[in-house]
Amino acid sequence: MKNPLSKTQIDLLGDRLRIGSHTEEDLRLLDDYRLSFGEAYETVVQKIRVHGESPTGRQPKSRLSIVEKLKRQKTRLSKMQDIAGCRVVVADIVQQDEFITTLKMLFPEATVIDRRDKPSHGYRAVHVIVQISGKPIEIQVRTALQHLWAELSEKSSDVIDPTIKYGGGSDEWKSRLASISKSVAANEEFEKKYSYAVAAHEVFERTVAELPEHQESNPNAQELRGELEISRRRIEGLRAEKLRLWNVNANLLNKMISWLDDLKRQKQ
Amino acid sequence: MIFLIEYNRNEGSIVTFRKFVDSQRREAEDARLEIELELNRQGVEHEVVLLEAASEEALHRTHQRYFADLTEILKSAINS
Repeated sequence: MKNPLSKTQIDLLGDRLRIGSHTEEDLRLLDDYRLSFGEAYETVVQKIRVHGESPTGRQPKSRLSIVEKLKRQKTRLSKMQDIAGCRVVVADIVQQDEFITTLKMLFPEATVIDRRDKPSHGYRAVHVIVQISGKPIEIQVRTALQHLWAELSEKSSDVIDPTIKYGGGSDEWKSRLASISKSVAANEEFEKKYSYAVAAHEVFERTVAELPEHQESNPNAQELRGELEISRRRIEGLRAEKLRLWNVNANLLNKMISWLDDLKRQKQ
Repeated sequence: MIFLIEYNRNEGSIVTFRKFVDSQRREAEDARLEIELELNRQGVEHEVVLLEAASEEALHRTHQRYFADLTEILKSAINS
């Protein structure tokens, strides 16, 4: 096994990569450094797998992404938190909250960066940074909708303008991505409210169903049935609002598809 | 499974896609380094990444950007 690089050696390597004066030997050193995260990465991913989730792991960050981050943020290479990590995409925000709670139990010392309330250029997700033997491993936890937005932003950065995912790009792009991000946030905020309301309603429904039959004429039982009916109507109202919010979101996505088609036609 | 992807960001398309079983981790890491060194010699800026997923389908789900264009990403969200 090779001697590990010192922090100073790592940062000097980062400096050479940042200014583009690196040699082929430097790329091999960078590879050694990335591979030094392997054990920590395995530990984290295995724990998550045992828990039943199936993450997609990015064992080490690509050289291109590392160099771009060094240039963009002036970060020192030894301080980079996301050299290795994994991504878990869950169905919705309720499952996301549950999974974050699980991660906090699995890794009590972890740092949780919640970008849902304060998005980073529209990016919403929760990142959990776990330190294993001094090596940070980043776990990205996204809902399906947050993931859609992130993929959209990243792909736009690839093929349209690399600054888009950091808040750059034309006003039109920024505006469309911001609208979709806000719409996703509105859908998820409502999803949480809806899920809690449905759970409470179901408990209430079971309680009323278990009332003894001989209490049919009991005024209290009748009152409970009346309240259950009100609760049922409330859930129907929430369901309709949930659908409305989803339609707003789908409408934004459809409009973006049409806009992209127009752009393609203009280019031809 | 381990997947090696060489991706041309400007084109938004995959240049190289290779699969390895979990026991071939070392080969996958060596193959990635070889591609990175070769691209560096040629002065080509492609993203080269090793990803580990339960299946190719799972990989497509969590890293759709490598496989789909913008319209396909949007349509998949509407249809989900």
